[in-house]
Amino acid sequence: MLHQALHLLPTLAAAPPAHADSGAAATPGGQLLMLVPALCVLAALFSALSGPLKIRSKIPGYFSVACLAGAFVAVLLTYLGHESGVKIAHGFEWITFKWGDGPGQALTGNFAFYVDSLTLLWMLFVTGLGALIALYSVEYMADDVGLGYARYFFAFNIFVLSMSCLVMADNLLLLFLGWEGVGLCSYLLIGYFYKKPVAVAAAKKAFIVNRIGDLGLVLGLLATFVAFGTLGYDPLFAMIRAGVDAKGAPIADSWVTDVIPLLLMAGAFGKSAQVFFYVWLPDAMEGPTPVSALIHAATMVTAGVFLIARMYPLYAADDDHMALSLVAWCGAITALWSATIGMSIFDIKRVMGYSTISQLGYMFAGLGLLAPTGAAFHTLTHAFFKATLFLAVGAVMHGFGGQLDLRRLSGVARMRGFGIVGLAMLVGSLNLSGVPGTAGFFSKDMILAQGFSTPASMIEAPQAIAWVLLLTAGLTAYYTFRAFFRVFTGPVEYLPGDDEHLLEHGRHPKGTTLAEWHKQHGHGHGHDHAHTELTGVAARRAHGRKDFDPTTEEFDPHPPGWAINASLVICALLAIAAAALYFVKTPHAEEGGWVGGMIERSSAAFHSPHEFNLLGITSHSAMYLVSALVGLTGIAVAAFLHAPKGWQGLFLGSRDTAATSRADALTPRLGRVARWARAKWYVDELYDWFLVKPLRGIAYVSSWIDKLLVDGLVDAAGALPARVGRVLRPSQSGVLHGYAAGMAGGVALVLLLVLIVLN
Amino acid sequence: MMLASLIIVPLAFALFIAVGPERSAARVSLVGMLATLGLSILAAFAFDWGFGGQFQFGMSVDWLPGLGLTLSLGVDSVALMLVLLTAVLGPVCVLASWTAITERVKTYYAWMMVLQAAMIGVFAARDLVFFYICFEFTLIPMFLLIALYGSTNRMRAATKFFLFTFTGSVVALAGLLYVAWHHAQTRGVWTFEIDALELAARTLPPHVQALILGALLLGFAVKVPLFPLHTWLPLAHTEAPTAGSVILAGVLLKLGTYAIYRFVLPFAPEAVIEYAYPLAVLCTIGIIYGGLVCWVQTDVKKLVAYSSVAHLGFCMLGMFALNHAGVTGSVLYMLNHGLSTGALFLLIGMMYERYHTRSMKEIGGLGARMPVWSTFLVFFVMASVGLPGLNGFVGEFLCLMGAFQASDAWGAGLWGTTPGDSTVGGTRGSLGPWVAAVAGTGMIIAAIYLLYMVGKVVFGTLREPPGHASHADHHAGDAHRAAGLPVDLTRREIGALAPIAALCVFLGVYPKPVLDAVQAPVERTVTTIAEARGKPKFRPPVELAPPAEHAAEGAHP
Repeated sequence: MLHQALHLLPTLAAAPPAHADSGAAATPGGQLLMLVPALCVLAALFSALSGPLKIRSKIPGYFSVACLAGAFVAVLLTYLGHESGVKIAHGFEWITFKWGDGPGQALTGNFAFYVDSLTLLWMLFVTGLGALIALYSVEYMADDVGLGYARYFFAFNIFVLSMSCLVMADNLLLLFLGWEGVGLCSYLLIGYFYKKPVAVAAAKKAFIVNRIGDLGLVLGLLATFVAFGTLGYDPLFAMIRAGVDAKGAPIADSWVTDVIPLLLMAGAFGKSAQVFFYVWLPDAMEGPTPVSALIHAATMVTAGVFLIARMYPLYAADDDHMALSLVAWCGAITALWSATIGMSIFDIKRVMGYSTISQLGYMFAGLGLLAPTGAAFHTLTHAFFKATLFLAVGAVMHGFGGQLDLRRLSGVARMRGFGIVGLAMLVGSLNLSGVPGTAGFFSKDMILAQGFSTPASMIEAPQAIAWVLLLTAGLTAYYTFRAFFRVFTGPVEYLPGDDEHLLEHGRHPKGTTLAEWHKQHGHGHGHDHAHTELTGVAARRAHGRKDFDPTTEEFDPHPPGWAINASLVICALLAIAAAALYFVKTPHAEEGGWVGGMIERSSAAFHSPHEFNLLGITSHSAMYLVSALVGLTGIAVAAFLHAPKGWQGLFLGSRDTAATSRADALTPRLGRVARWARAKWYVDELYDWFLVKPLRGIAYVSSWIDKLLVDGLVDAAGALPARVGRVLRPSQSGVLHGYAAGMAGGVALVLLLVLIVLN
Repeated sequence: MMLASLIIVPLAFALFIAVGPERSAARVSLVGMLATLGLSILAAFAFDWGFGGQFQFGMSVDWLPGLGLTLSLGVDSVALMLVLLTAVLGPVCVLASWTAITERVKTYYAWMMVLQAAMIGVFAARDLVFFYICFEFTLIPMFLLIALYGSTNRMRAATKFFLFTFTGSVVALAGLLYVAWHHAQTRGVWTFEIDALELAARTLPPHVQALILGALLLGFAVKVPLFPLHTWLPLAHTEAPTAGSVILAGVLLKLGTYAIYRFVLPFAPEAVIEYAYPLAVLCTIGIIYGGLVCWVQTDVKKLVAYSSVAHLGFCMLGMFALNHAGVTGSVLYMLNHGLSTGALFLLIGMMYERYHTRSMKEIGGLGARMPVWSTFLVFFVMASVGLPGLNGFVGEFLCLMGAFQASDAWGAGLWGTTPGDSTVGGTRGSLGPWVAAVAGTGMIIAAIYLLYMVGKVVFGTLREPPGHASHADHHAGDAHRAAGLPVDLTRREIGALAPIAALCVFLGVYPKPVLDAVQAPVERTVTTIAEARGKPKFRPPVELAPPAEHAAEGAHP
């Protein structure tokens, strides 16, 4: 890698580096980070071996927590020792070979890490949250000990490994290794409950939709190689900063800055579930909830944001920022689109799923609006508060037999043992809604303010994007608190979840059917516990319902234990504390606080223009007011429509049962729009009809052609000599040799003659 | 002697098996295969990898000197690695047949050893006659393995396999003989040494090279199989016994790609350059068409069989890119496909032994019943999908990269500002980014059909054929025990799979040794092509009509 960089130096000597402090050549170092993949591999191997070794306890879980915590410490130490510039930690040569000495005559895909502050920013929350959610999983997956427990932690560790490779890679090829690796783990973990057809279908869908984007990424990689003759970031950024390709030709206004960013964007959108690609993420909620928290909210889905941030120099090198405009618009439209779905569906976990898509849209809009710091900050805050939200939802799911319907749960926060869950949920919801003072407020604000500041000469209609995002902020506050008010406040009332939860947790012995299990255990569950008065309430209310399942009548919600509560508390505290980062003063950046300093020192640094004033005040100050107002309005509407009476509903609400609310009366007035939004705008159906079914049709036709036409013709042709052969056949197997030899000689002779004559 | 012993040892063991007792046949065969493997590993250690481009262990025995007939052997690093692949799959195939073959055991294992010798002979041959003898001789054992030990439709499959590949290779023989004849005409002596013939063939004018290309491809592309000559393959695979399928996918198909690499590229470089685009189009059609056909199969084995059509499309695409990345990728693809697809056939064979069905309509959710088997299946599916970190990715990526780079359009038109000034990472060629993009959809389709298979067979609710279902709930696996097999894999079966899995991980994580080793031979091939590009295109004022098979392929773009 380094020798390549040196090789390029003569070409670049003429061009001055654009950013003096980040233009310095990389130096070796950061070797400590090699511990991260090593520890992940160790934990994964241990989990994998605990099956054959017949370890039927939580040991693989705790071992993973320890390893991941160790990885976090390694990252933290590296961060503390990191000043600025880039260090490259070399591991070993992966897909590396050369066929010449010139530029572009070697493919260098090493297992080596590119350590700069962008890498460290991502790694801090990837390993930190990884360890934390592993701890949560130790308890959450406890029912599967001896069944899928080891498999779960194997995939979990491989995920952190892959994600580390993705983030720390020093070249695009290793990034792609991590990229596909996280895809695999996502596939394995979404499909964790592999006996559920829905989960299997969801896993498959996630992998395949991701692969479509991956094709774009692969082609982008290849185009990068063709233009720059390398895939390593260090030589790549050196050339891009100088504004030239490997031949010294200017790249601005050429295919290089148009085609490559668009291809990489396709990959980013696939992984981060944007525009056409988002359909896999809501389905991915079939996986265990900790997985949703870590992979499908906090880390993996931000890989697309990371990719664009990593390659930001290339995106910014384009004169008219065509790709960035597209990124911004796609992000904004996705944000609005999925918020509308989040407003209308009733499954709280899926509400969170759609909200993730929507928030990722904000991040992409931030990148596109020339606010990489805002995007990175929002990624960080979102990682914490969305993980908190998912973990809280998971605790509810865990406690209520997998119940996720917000019409069947009410007042959860008031139940015994669920207090921490309720508080954590509140913290997460306030952040997501962008209530003033929360981390989510500041990070969202940075993106919005930049939207109003970016001149239209740089990005297509940035103000329009900002308005779309502002509207979405209001909708977000509404749907977040719709879920919060309905599930966590109001009268205590609940219905346990369907049987699938029992199935997915494998509480029944392997091999027996669910019906049999019910016969044996149906009334047994909960008998060991003293009935709380809450159960009585639930049962009383539930008896009036047609769909109540009598086998779970004596259902006893089990509140979370210490591991879940501890990780919830830490996660919520982190989500709160993230706000403080905004006010950290660093010498490296004027604004954006700590994250601003991290981004400013990295390759993603971009000096965003500030030239907009709204009514005489700067865009940031204006945004504080406007977005606070929008957010609070959203919450107020949610309270009016969904909150219970009294203080819990901010004295706006009127709900007194779980199932109904003021919104019920409002929805029919919206007519088709509400119905279509609840049906997720029929996007899945559209894809099915216009993509999957036609493709499957083509496949059937191809198969048919293969069977009849091509095969038939060949059979017909083959039958002719076979008939001749049958006449001459003295015995079953002997004939073929003799006749083949004869035929060989004859045909070869004839053809040889033909060739000779022709010549 | 090293190479001769690699051929003689399996033949000797074939003899032992033929004269020995029936019940020890399998064990003797395993010993023979392991001995061959040991010898090939010895050869790998003795081989000087620093000079991988040169043919080592050379030996030559005069046979009929008057006719220029000799038997010459020698391997470069590419050939040696294919020998190693063959040797690795040998014991695996014996282990896979351990309980599956119960009748005519001696015949089976004896022919298997003969097949092993013939396949190694193909890779080790340095003269045309010996090459061709071995190439053809692989047909007879394979024909018998399918015809005697296959499933219901085996006679039809065996006959079709034989006729199809045989007819093709006869045409190839004509092409090869023509080159020898040309050598005799111009140099005055008959020889069948490949080196001499290479040089002679390159002096042929382009239009004659085109004829040679057509003749050789007709023979070798059947074996690969290149669309549309693939139709023998699904049937033969489906009907063959497990070990037959493993050898078929693992090695026999590579005989075709190897022959194209060894003969077509050096013998007719100008014609290959000329027709690279239509050939790449055929590869691409194969990738997409083969993949889509996979998706609607209900027979698992047929699905994997068709996946070979798609996979080898990638392999050939890399080869026809005619640049370093492409040809390197193609060579790696040969090895990797042999391992991962071979293992998939093994796994399906293990399932078939237990359930006597391969239909996804009757079987499903085996993850609950056979976790070890399922883990291996998911693993090899991922290797086959081309997941980075496993072996399949390296070859697939390099093939795509080669195709993407190989375009004369780089630096001109859409792809550059200064026409004629090509980019650094681009190479000469006629394929380019569009071909790579279209072929790249094969990555997506591979995920679609392979995960479709995993979703049906491994995941979901447990479904077993009627005979098994009744037992399943109460006495899990009774039916299996009747067949002498436990529910999940035995140690023998794991022993067959684990080495392949280890190789898949190794080649995926650290492909460097292989990448380095094949550079020298690839360099030679690419140099040949580059020299051919430099040649002035001499076209005599011909009244010859172009041959029929090329008229259909259309003109150069």
